[in-house]
Amino acid sequence: MPGASSDSTSGALVPLLPEAQGAVVYPLHHGLTSPVSRLSISWSRGNSLRISVFASPSVNDSDNEDAGGKVVEVKLGGGDGEISDAHWRRITYGSVSPFALLQSRKNAASGLSKMSMNSSPYNVDWWEYIMEYSKDISALLGNQKSPSNPVIDDPESVIKKGQEPTSLKAAWELLEMFYAEKPSQSWLPERLVDWLADYNSLFSGTHPTVHSKLIDFQKELVNLQVVEDDPKYWEVMSSALAVGWLDIVVKMLRLHGSYQLDQLSNRETENGLVEAVAVLISKMPRMRLEQKAGNLGECFKAKPDFVKAWEKWRAQINKLDSSAFWFQCAHQQTREGLRSMLQVMLGNANSLCTATCHWIELFISHLLYIRPFTVGLESMYSLAQKCIQLKSVASAHRLMRLIIGILGENTEVVLAECSKGFGPWMVAHALELLTTGSDLAEMLLHEEHQNLGGISIEELHRLVYAEVLSSHPLTWQIAPIYLTSCVKQGMVLLQILLSKQPVQHNQLLFKNIEICRLYELDGISSNIMKIAGVYHWKHGRKGSGVFWLQQARDEYRLNRIAQQLFDSVGKTISDESFKQWEGLIQLLGSESKAAGGLEFLQKYRDFKKSLQQVHDGKTADATHQAVESLISLMKTPSTPQRFWLPLLYDSLKLLNWKDRPLLNVSQTNLLLNKLQELSMARLRPDFIEAELPSQALNSVRLALATNLGRAILEE
Amino acid sequence: MAISAPQNPSQVHRFPQFKYIDAVRWLPPVSAFDRFAAIAFFDSDSNSPSIEIHCVNSNLQSSFPTLTSQSSWAPPSRISSLKTAHSTPQPVIAAATFSGSLHILASDLINGGMIESGGTLSELGFHSGPVAAVDLREGGTECVSVGEDGRINLVSFVGDSSNLSYRRIFDANGLVGYTAVKWASPSEFVTGGYGFGLQWWDQRRPGGPVSQFKGNWCQGKTSGIVHSIDIHPSRKHTCLAGGSSGTVFAWDLRAQQQPIVLAGAGTGEAAMSLLSESEVWEVQYDRYTRSSNISNISSTRILPVMICSEDGILAVVEQGEEPIELLADPCAINSFDINQQNPSDVICSLEWESIAILTRS
Repeated sequence: MPGASSDSTSGALVPLLPEAQGAVVYPLHHGLTSPVSRLSISWSRGNSLRISVFASPSVNDSDNEDAGGKVVEVKLGGGDGEISDAHWRRITYGSVSPFALLQSRKNAASGLSKMSMNSSPYNVDWWEYIMEYSKDISALLGNQKSPSNPVIDDPESVIKKGQEPTSLKAAWELLEMFYAEKPSQSWLPERLVDWLADYNSLFSGTHPTVHSKLIDFQKELVNLQVVEDDPKYWEVMSSALAVGWLDIVVKMLRLHGSYQLDQLSNRETENGLVEAVAVLISKMPRMRLEQKAGNLGECFKAKPDFVKAWEKWRAQINKLDSSAFWFQCAHQQTREGLRSMLQVMLGNANSLCTATCHWIELFISHLLYIRPFTVGLESMYSLAQKCIQLKSVASAHRLMRLIIGILGENTEVVLAECSKGFGPWMVAHALELLTTGSDLAEMLLHEEHQNLGGISIEELHRLVYAEVLSSHPLTWQIAPIYLTSCVKQGMVLLQILLSKQPVQHNQLLFKNIEICRLYELDGISSNIMKIAGVYHWKHGRKGSGVFWLQQARDEYRLNRIAQQLFDSVGKTISDESFKQWEGLIQLLGSESKAAGGLEFLQKYRDFKKSLQQVHDGKTADATHQAVESLISLMKTPSTPQRFWLPLLYDSLKLLNWKDRPLLNVSQTNLLLNKLQELSMARLRPDFIEAELPSQALNSVRLALATNLGRAILEE
Repeated sequence: MAISAPQNPSQVHRFPQFKYIDAVRWLPPVSAFDRFAAIAFFDSDSNSPSIEIHCVNSNLQSSFPTLTSQSSWAPPSRISSLKTAHSTPQPVIAAATFSGSLHILASDLINGGMIESGGTLSELGFHSGPVAAVDLREGGTECVSVGEDGRINLVSFVGDSSNLSYRRIFDANGLVGYTAVKWASPSEFVTGGYGFGLQWWDQRRPGGPVSQFKGNWCQGKTSGIVHSIDIHPSRKHTCLAGGSSGTVFAWDLRAQQQPIVLAGAGTGEAAMSLLSESEVWEVQYDRYTRSSNISNISSTRILPVMICSEDGILAVVEQGEEPIELLADPCAINSFDINQQNPSDVICSLEWESIAILTRS
């Protein structure tokens, strides 16, 4: 089998690329010994396929130990790889509240802006809301990188190991920094520097990075006796300096051998130079809002202050570069290493290019040392293009594609990259950021498209995400929140979703009905109850079935099942088994409730009860009540015809009451009429004969006739 | 309706899991700092259910307790009902499944909390369809199980609980379904079901329920199902039930057909506190009385009740008083359990695959 995967046992499939030569075949282990006769393939939960394999019926049934078939689940795509399914669900759960809150604020704001005729709902509060939303989501994607500072700082550990960063969080932070933070972003370059410091390790997998260089050097560091003799030491420091990891560079400089006490005296000038560079690095002016704890550099919030400090700092570097001390420095590596670091700080384009590995690193170094005043996406975009040319890579990381899309100010590309790289969750939630503040993007995303069935791109992506949620048994309850934010198609899809849910278990059924109640979908909820009723009825849980049909006020089905119930009533309603019926009859409850044909059961129960009392000898009220019940039973249309004769036969004792006739003339006439009707009905072919003695009809007729005569005499 | 906040805010700790939680129960403690809980999980990725013993370790140094799994046991199907009981030497766990089987487990909490499977009842005649609810008798020698199939079984286990036998108390042949059950005394128990109906059973008077509470008291209004029942050991004549549409009511056997409605629909009174309109999944008497002793409360008054609901509310309801909300979550709270030994501790299972532990101060 060409191209068969070696890990076929895991059942993971890879996407079929169009350029692949022919289809790739993956063997599927179903574990059946006998030959397969039939295959059935259907969707299972989420992204899984359910493949049912049926074995051909084996010839000798005697030793049929093997199962007749197996069901195999095949997971398609194999998930994100970085984030497990269960983790995705946690993100899914957590993002519900921020999303719902933002939607309700949006609705309130649009209501308000309509009233005050204010064209833009984006006031100062709105930016705060968006930022709050973005921070909430960001918090879900992983904790803020908090490298737990060890109590004893290991001087040899250059790189701190924090929480493993994820591309998803990196992507969200990018979006947040470009879209959610106020657009007046003179601090954006520095934000990007921080971003790269946090997520540089993500690119190490496919490509060498400054981070991977540092990690490698860290490993070697243990074995190095004289660190400054190793050219790698200087190379790594230049690289780290180029991307602005000042604290790491200063820490590494202090590992320089000239700091050791025994050498300090004869390497005084050398040590002075190292320290001078270290001080210069730690004094680097940076235009940013606030400094992270432990980071080096001097912060400036306003541009004029920064420019002044920047010029001064550059002058100091120049002065050091041209100083005479370099000739007194005996150690060649130190001399060259330090001077190349100075070149990095002076913004020598060639130095920056050799010091960095990845184009984004080069990009950052340009922002830091050549164009610290870069403002506006357009100039950033052209810079990025230049860097890509210098450091071309074969395959671009999904984050890189996203950055290019953002810098290129192309909302559609950003959306496409979000969707391709990070899935429907990302798109559905990132839309909130993308639509904020940019009228163009908002118009693009809210415009209704005829080819999408009249919905907007925003709605489309929300619907896609809702579909993903709907396909999993643990997340479908969240889907309504996203569906209801879709104006055009949302409600219809919500109705379909709710109607599709299984009804087997009460807990799920109630959760489903609860959602119907929240969104006032009474029709759907009564449909669900009908389905549940019929399901329970079919599975022998008659009480549950009747309850749900009653809840759904489904007279039609109640009447139908009543007919079936009566079959068993006729046979089993003896005094012993009556206790079983008692509960059901109670459930049927009062007349006000929909009971359909089951109303008969209640009256029949009353009749049986009083008849029992008559037989027990309690005659006073019992006879009267029994007659009442009998007449009422015979009068109501819900009493099935086949019960007429058994009822009359049961009440022979009443008809033949010794002391006086219990039924008056009109009552007797009613019963006689019914008897007549019954005789006529017996001629029809579909008539079901009650299991009674053959003389039953005659004895009832005789008793009625006698009673009639006595009643007439009495009156 | 304003819902008053608790005077003393309680500490809530959430423990996100990567599995759905079907049920949670406390187990009796073995030391001052360790509390144990039995949790029924369902891993939807691998489609496998499990019952695990978890240790809740409240470290004195950090205010954040930890939840660590001690041992795990795999039932044949998802757990529909889980109950625990004090028993010597080991606590007993009764677990009923959706496939209609019942499992009695024992856990040696002192030596690592290993779960030992005591006995299993899974024969065809036991229940048809899922077991809706079980309850263990105090002391853990008998267990009553009910189902929507209308069967009520009494499971007795002797000695090391490996020997299970059951007796059919009643079979309604599906004409009536039972969804909740609770022991009232060694020989009496109460079942609940559709239409808010309750039935009182006495083993000494077999053949049918001794007393029935007609479900149709909320006439004309939507009816529902009883999801959970509780009976206070000192008030055996009152049976507490919670169910659909936020309904919490008590049935006093001495006032046969008049329910005492604590919360929810069907009351017709606008003044009645409407805590929640959705399903009340579980009710338990809240033994955490702050100042007043139980004996001071008149016997006609219903003791404080804790409820959890589909709309994510965990609250304490007291007759004639405003409910006190302990938790309000964006997702459903499916079950909870109050620690019998230390009633300030409450453990809850949340719909979004997490567990919350509440410590009231």
